[in-house]
Amino acid sequence: MSHKLIDLVNISKSYGDNLVLDELNLYIRENEFLTLLGPSGCGKTTLLRILGGFESPDTGKVIFDGADITSLAPNKRQLNTVFQKYALFTHMTIAENIAFGLKIKGKTRTYINDKIKYALKLVNLDGFENRMPDSLSGGQQQRIAIARAIVNEPKVLLLDEPLGALDLKLRQDMQYELIRLKNELGITFVYVTHDQEEALTMSDTIVVMNQGYIQQIGTPEDIYNEPENAFVADFIGESNILPAIMVEDKLVKILGANFPCVDVGFGRNKPVDAVIRPEDIDLVKPEEGIIEGVVTHLIFKGVHYEMEVSANNYDWLVHSTDMFPVGTQVGIKVDPFDIQIMKKPESEDEEAVIIEE
Amino acid sequence: MKSKRILSGPYLFWAVSFIIIPLLMIVYYGMTNQDGAFTWMNLAKITTPENLKALGLALLLSFISTIICLLMAYPLAMILSKINVNQTSFVVLIFILPMWMNFLLRTLAWQTLLEKNGVINGILSFFHLPSLSIINTPYAIILGMVYNFLPFMVLPIYNILVKIDKNVIDAALDLGASNFQTLTKIIIPLSIPGVISGITMVFVPALTTFVISDLLGGSKILLIGNVIEQEFKQGSNWHVGSGLSLVLMIFIILSMALIAKYDKDGEGNAF
Amino acid sequence: MKNTIQKIYLGLIFVLLYAPIVTLMVLSFNDSKTRVKWGGFTGKWYVRLFQNEQIMNALYTTLIIAFLSALIATIIGTAAAIGIQSLNRKFRTIMMGITNIPMLNADIVTGISLMLLFIAFRFSLGFSTILLAHITFNIPYVILSVMPKLKQTNKRTYEAALDLGASPVYAFFKVVFPDILPGVFSGFLLSFTMSLDDFVITHFTKGPGVETLSTKIYSEVRKGIKPEMYALSTLLFVSVLFLLILINTSPQKKENAPKKARVSKTAKAAHLIFRRVIPVTMAAILVAGGFFYGSKNKISGDNQVIVYNWGEYLDPVVLDMFEEETGIEVIYEEFETNEIMYPKIQSGAIAYDVVCPSDYMIQRMIENDLLAELNYENIPNIKNIGKQYMEQSRQFDPENKYSIPYCWGTVGILYNKTLVSEPIDSWSVLWDPQYKDNILMQDSVRDAFAVALRYLGYSLNSTDLDELEAAKELLIEQKPLVQAYVIDQVRDKMINNEAAIGVIYSGEAIYTQLENPDLEYVIPKEGSNVWIDSWVIPKNSKHKENAETFIDFLCRPDIAKINFDYITYSTPNTAARELIEDPKIKNSTIAFPQPSELEHCETFRFLGDKYDAIYNELWREIKSK
Repeated sequence: MSHKLIDLVNISKSYGDNLVLDELNLYIRENEFLTLLGPSGCGKTTLLRILGGFESPDTGKVIFDGADITSLAPNKRQLNTVFQKYALFTHMTIAENIAFGLKIKGKTRTYINDKIKYALKLVNLDGFENRMPDSLSGGQQQRIAIARAIVNEPKVLLLDEPLGALDLKLRQDMQYELIRLKNELGITFVYVTHDQEEALTMSDTIVVMNQGYIQQIGTPEDIYNEPENAFVADFIGESNILPAIMVEDKLVKILGANFPCVDVGFGRNKPVDAVIRPEDIDLVKPEEGIIEGVVTHLIFKGVHYEMEVSANNYDWLVHSTDMFPVGTQVGIKVDPFDIQIMKKPESEDEEAVIIEE
Repeated sequence: MKSKRILSGPYLFWAVSFIIIPLLMIVYYGMTNQDGAFTWMNLAKITTPENLKALGLALLLSFISTIICLLMAYPLAMILSKINVNQTSFVVLIFILPMWMNFLLRTLAWQTLLEKNGVINGILSFFHLPSLSIINTPYAIILGMVYNFLPFMVLPIYNILVKIDKNVIDAALDLGASNFQTLTKIIIPLSIPGVISGITMVFVPALTTFVISDLLGGSKILLIGNVIEQEFKQGSNWHVGSGLSLVLMIFIILSMALIAKYDKDGEGNAF
Repeated sequence: MKNTIQKIYLGLIFVLLYAPIVTLMVLSFNDSKTRVKWGGFTGKWYVRLFQNEQIMNALYTTLIIAFLSALIATIIGTAAAIGIQSLNRKFRTIMMGITNIPMLNADIVTGISLMLLFIAFRFSLGFSTILLAHITFNIPYVILSVMPKLKQTNKRTYEAALDLGASPVYAFFKVVFPDILPGVFSGFLLSFTMSLDDFVITHFTKGPGVETLSTKIYSEVRKGIKPEMYALSTLLFVSVLFLLILINTSPQKKENAPKKARVSKTAKAAHLIFRRVIPVTMAAILVAGGFFYGSKNKISGDNQVIVYNWGEYLDPVVLDMFEEETGIEVIYEEFETNEIMYPKIQSGAIAYDVVCPSDYMIQRMIENDLLAELNYENIPNIKNIGKQYMEQSRQFDPENKYSIPYCWGTVGILYNKTLVSEPIDSWSVLWDPQYKDNILMQDSVRDAFAVALRYLGYSLNSTDLDELEAAKELLIEQKPLVQAYVIDQVRDKMINNEAAIGVIYSGEAIYTQLENPDLEYVIPKEGSNVWIDSWVIPKNSKHKENAETFIDFLCRPDIAKINFDYITYSTPNTAARELIEDPKIKNSTIAFPQPSELEHCETFRFLGDKYDAIYNELWREIKSK
């Protein structure tokens, strides 16, 4: 991929006694769709505001295109932000809103008018020039907010939970819209959300954050399939997180039963956490499974059935397109590459905590 | 929901009895002479040189005080709105609190402060500074107006400034506006309803006051309020007094129309 | 840097807002009766305050009116807000428009309109009219406080309550009301404060015997505020401040902090005590006290006498003595000028029993048939009044049928010996440019014209239009030299060396000399006004016998002496003069001038409504120049 556009070095920030970001390091590449994902209060919005210039970090540096912009005022940065609740200027028409940044830069009238047309077309709101923001729906307002930001041709667009206030259907539409926009514009998007599905759908790179620390950085696939710790595993999708012992390379003992796996390098007889996604569990005949259990709950979920299987004193969460009625004796089987082994957390901070959302 | 509407009944009755009818009484008195015959004479009284001068002076002084109030209150409201107080009520209280000291006494206290041998001149002469002699002049009246009505300018502006979404200001900065541009293009236009409401809440009482001019003007300066008050309390010509009140009401209606235009949702209420 | 500027700015505004308040607080500890002189530290005004029944009554009237009007306004206003909320858009706009009228209308117009209403519908002006007026201007504050809360309230919660089987009333009080309670509460507090602080509307809607703190203060302004008033205001202010500090600093901080530990029980209890118990208790004490005082005053019923007198023109002790001796309750009210008093009597809106107008005004009242003949059998003490004064009264009361002299005196010049260069004996100094801004003029038509007319050598009862025009021109010429037009404030200002020369009533001169020995009084050689203030009984008096008893009481030598000592105006009561111990005062030429000094002096006569109007018109021309 292309070169580093933004480099965040040792960023710390606290409000009073409350440490929000702790010695955080992160780089963002050019043309990347990077998502900061985490529960509320994890520091993701603060990080975005530091990027935007609305907050200054207590320590650390923000490097943009090789230059230190840590103390540069927001109006001097080549970044634009799309705010959570749109933050449109309610006393101006849509056209005036969009023209705001351009007028300040002293662009010509024709340039501005062209830009307004172009931006409105881009967000599928042609002809809205003379409407007032109040007369628009939430989704439309959000598009205007995006249009207002992108006409300034920023190198990076910062988006702070832009879809948070929209309903489900609209949110999904807007996700595609954003991906399309990003591809058309060819600029870097830094996106903040607490919605894992949104993050998985749109991002090139996801940064999972909790309590001011980065928990994991990776592609959506990495994050989903190979969570590095229990927090990530728990926050991204549903999963069975099981205490286990790594007997030797490629063999893990879960709830007393030995499962073959693909992980190496954890040492011998070391306590670890094993993560198994519910859809990766195969329910088979009792004698064919590695361990045996009985189905205790069954719910039809549309694309699949959700079941709970009680085996070895643990309630396994299982997603399957096959249905097993409650009371059925079943065997549990997991393919070795579907078992994700993680180190036991060392510090309190990395431990999975209550997720508020 | 019909039952709920009935709840506004007592108020409607009250409003008609004690707001609408009394105003009609003024109109009646203002349009009739002592024998009860219709006349324009009472209204025409405003054109006598003395009354015209009183009205003109009242307009001038209240206009100046309103401007001073606005210039003082706006930065003040901005500073206050940035102070991170959990209870915004605290800010309001600072301005409401003086009202527990009687209005007349407060104004009278300025007499003590401003007099030739008063407190302020005492302090000035201690530092060998030239003494201030504004008591019994229009300046003292302006001071009294500004002092008494400043809270009515600060509170509506403050109330509307704290309601402005912080993100909107960030958005303006984000789009490249400087702090000054943000102030002139975003903050001030958004706070117009509060400003308008503040202006009327200062201008109307200042225009019609008779107490402040009485106490701080040494009875040398006659404002339209004094003229009306004297018609009712001393001159005993209620018809002329009502006629002059009607003239005053034109200015009041003007300011109400202004509010109706700029502050439709009552965002700029002082309280 | 920016922060410092902001802090300095905040500080300056704070000083502006609170400087007068601090001033008043300091004055409440000032051991001098006048506002203008620091006489040492004292707490005596706080003690006197609680002994001063007039002020305490005014306080409790104020509090009761504030409380009742706020309460009633809160009930009507809250109901109205709920009702308005459910109206359709058009009616809602109309209703809110009406609501805005009292908020935006000028106080003076609101006050006048209500006064006209009350008088037209024959409401007798008094406690109830003030209350009605205050409710009227309070309701909008309540509506405007409740409305926003009501808008925020989720309608569904109310419907949910109905769905769960609650009756509409129950649902309202259990579900909606708690949501809008903060708005209701702030509406109440705001109303209470506004009612407390109102002067203008009360000024126009009040009747006799009812005083709120504001009107009481206003009537005292001209004479000088009683220091007890400063003490009272300080107490009020400090107690409210204390209350607010309690509410704002009570242990309820950091609501947004994570709920790490559950709030301890003690903190909860403290919270309850600070935020609820103490404020409620204080409010209860205030209100209970108000009703106690209120009820105390209502006992006596109809055995009363309504007195309308000049400000500071009678020792309050005398009223207590009278009430004690006769069991007749005195309702006492004050006026500042004859011109303010007259329309009140004429309109008959208030049935006063005893009034104390001046000579020319008595003549006018007699001519307009406003006075009742006195029954001298009920006033045996008239024998104490000097014959010459009864004789002088014939100028305006030809048969001595309507009036009994109370005080008399002259109008002259009071000057400060240290501030003038030569002895003064002529009105001409009032036009001497070297005394620019050092001259205090009387703020009443006849007195001001008397000065100018006598200076020009005309009669002070002139009805010659040319003479009057000349006097007007003279007074306009004088205006730039005048520091202020005042009535009773001449006294305080002269004592405090605020001015060099002032036109003053002889009675005030004696007091000022006691306070400031540099002051000297002179009757100018061109002549001046000699005046008599006399007791009369209006025709519509409802307690004529009580009124005569009252007048008789005042003619008793010991009582007249008490009053003389208090107000220092010359008494026509020869028996009382004999009782004066201090020979200097007993023989003072200010209090009791030689007949030769009065040679060029005249007494005012009523000139008829026509000339009265002309005088007023000319006076207004002068004032507006």
